[in-house]
Amino acid sequence: MTQALQAPAADRSGFRRLVPRGRWRAALGYAAGLVAGAVVWQVVGLNSASFVFVPLTSTMSSLGGLISDGSLPSALASSFSVYAVGEVAAIVTGALVGLLFARQMILRRAFEPYLVALYATPMVALIPFLLALIGYGFWPKVVVVSLFAFFPVEFSTQRGAQSIAPELLDVARAFRTSERGIWRHVVVPYTLPYLMTGVRQALARGLVGMIAGEFFLSAGGLGSLLITQSEQFDTGAMLAVTFVITLTGVLLMAAGRLVERRFARWRVSA
Amino acid sequence: MAGERMNALTLNRRGGRARNSPDAGGAAPEAESRRERVQVLLARIIAGLALLVIWQVCAVTFAPSYIARPIGILAQIPSVVGSEQFLSATGSTLLAVIEGLAIAIVLGTAAGLVMGRLRDIDRALRLYVDSFYAMPIVALVPLLTVWFGYSPTARLVVVVMEAVLPVAFSVAEGGRTLATEFTDVARAYRAPWWRVWLGIALPASMPYLLSGVDLAIGRALVGAVVAEFIASLNGLGYFILFNVRSFHEDAAMVALIVLVVFALVLRGLVTLTVRRALPWYRAR
Repeated sequence: MTQALQAPAADRSGFRRLVPRGRWRAALGYAAGLVAGAVVWQVVGLNSASFVFVPLTSTMSSLGGLISDGSLPSALASSFSVYAVGEVAAIVTGALVGLLFARQMILRRAFEPYLVALYATPMVALIPFLLALIGYGFWPKVVVVSLFAFFPVEFSTQRGAQSIAPELLDVARAFRTSERGIWRHVVVPYTLPYLMTGVRQALARGLVGMIAGEFFLSAGGLGSLLITQSEQFDTGAMLAVTFVITLTGVLLMAAGRLVERRFARWRVSA
Repeated sequence: MAGERMNALTLNRRGGRARNSPDAGGAAPEAESRRERVQVLLARIIAGLALLVIWQVCAVTFAPSYIARPIGILAQIPSVVGSEQFLSATGSTLLAVIEGLAIAIVLGTAAGLVMGRLRDIDRALRLYVDSFYAMPIVALVPLLTVWFGYSPTARLVVVVMEAVLPVAFSVAEGGRTLATEFTDVARAYRAPWWRVWLGIALPASMPYLLSGVDLAIGRALVGAVVAEFIASLNGLGYFILFNVRSFHEDAAMVALIVLVVFALVLRGLVTLTVRRALPWYRAR
């Protein structure tokens, strides 16, 4: 975040400042957190049984092993092909359904309670049903990712398209803009920033769906790699895979936030 | 986050209030006649029935007979709800989720306040809160079963981890954005630090806390269900898994419905708390 750019608040923390202010202090804070985390990981790892927790260094060597024997790259490829297809499907259908519901009041009102209920459904609980219905493999996992990712997209799109200021539409109509023109110049540009907020949330939820789907629906991918390792009590490898998952999660979130902010520039604040 | 909330109040095209936040649920625009409300209700009932009929017909024509269908579920409800196994599963999951949420609220509020008010601690911890918030916590379930065994403790830990992050994250945001007039006045009156924290920062963070809890509810349920799946723990998640595997999908669906209703009730309670206890917070 833009901590360094914020106006320096008057002594917020309530104790005297002994360390430098501003950018350096911020960097110092982040670095201290990073180093402390690494040290704690190493020390706790050295002092516990190897099936419980392993030091940072052994985790990294496990990570190296997983990469060199090819199991991690192939799991990543399998996971992210599922993830990508599922996300794209969810974003496209979510945006379309959201727009449709926003512009068709009857549909929206009729189906709203069911959408709310589905949004509240813990989607993981549907995995056993999906397994019985469509079995194992690539497409069932795609369905799981899409189920997780669809609703945030649908809701944000609908919310965005519904909150289009009436003046904008009135002006467009006053200038005799065609229906296509209204969609092209008003509805879609107005809704895009909202859609992107939904996309950011969908990226996170889809990741949960990906891992949960792989726990149950496949022999392949990061999720099933974790399950296999836990059955072998290979904690070092589990930590390594978890580390990779965390890293991808952080990267995806950063990308999502970037995209959201890029489109938020023209978002009309209420 | 507050920005997103504000949009729920923008006027929509029809002149009514666009009450379209996910939790506004059945709320219809205010300036609406009784007749219109009846029409909406009718449309909803028709839509619901249509969905059920489509489901029933599709299941009967295309799917094998063990696939769940509405009439079968309806017929199963009395025997499932009366069964010992179902009741203990329900109690087990719901208690674990409530207990986990309670722990997460306390821990998350404390962590969030500290992070929101003390910038150095925020910087040291931010990386970890952000990364754990960005990653799917369910990925930790296999590791946690190694640490805590195939036990309810593992499930509780998963639920707490799922729930604590959004709470801490939101409360920290609340603490960070605390209006400086408040703290200035407090300093002018030489208020001790604990009064600033408990008397100003904590109440000012309440709306943030509740929006964090709102997010935490769904995550907590997901965590509980995944933990039950993997660790085969008594609970609604395992009840679903077991019954689907033994071709009793109708019974499993009843458990799913209970999960959904529970989620909706909890989220409704959050909304109600915001309306009742925080009338000064008008962003909803």
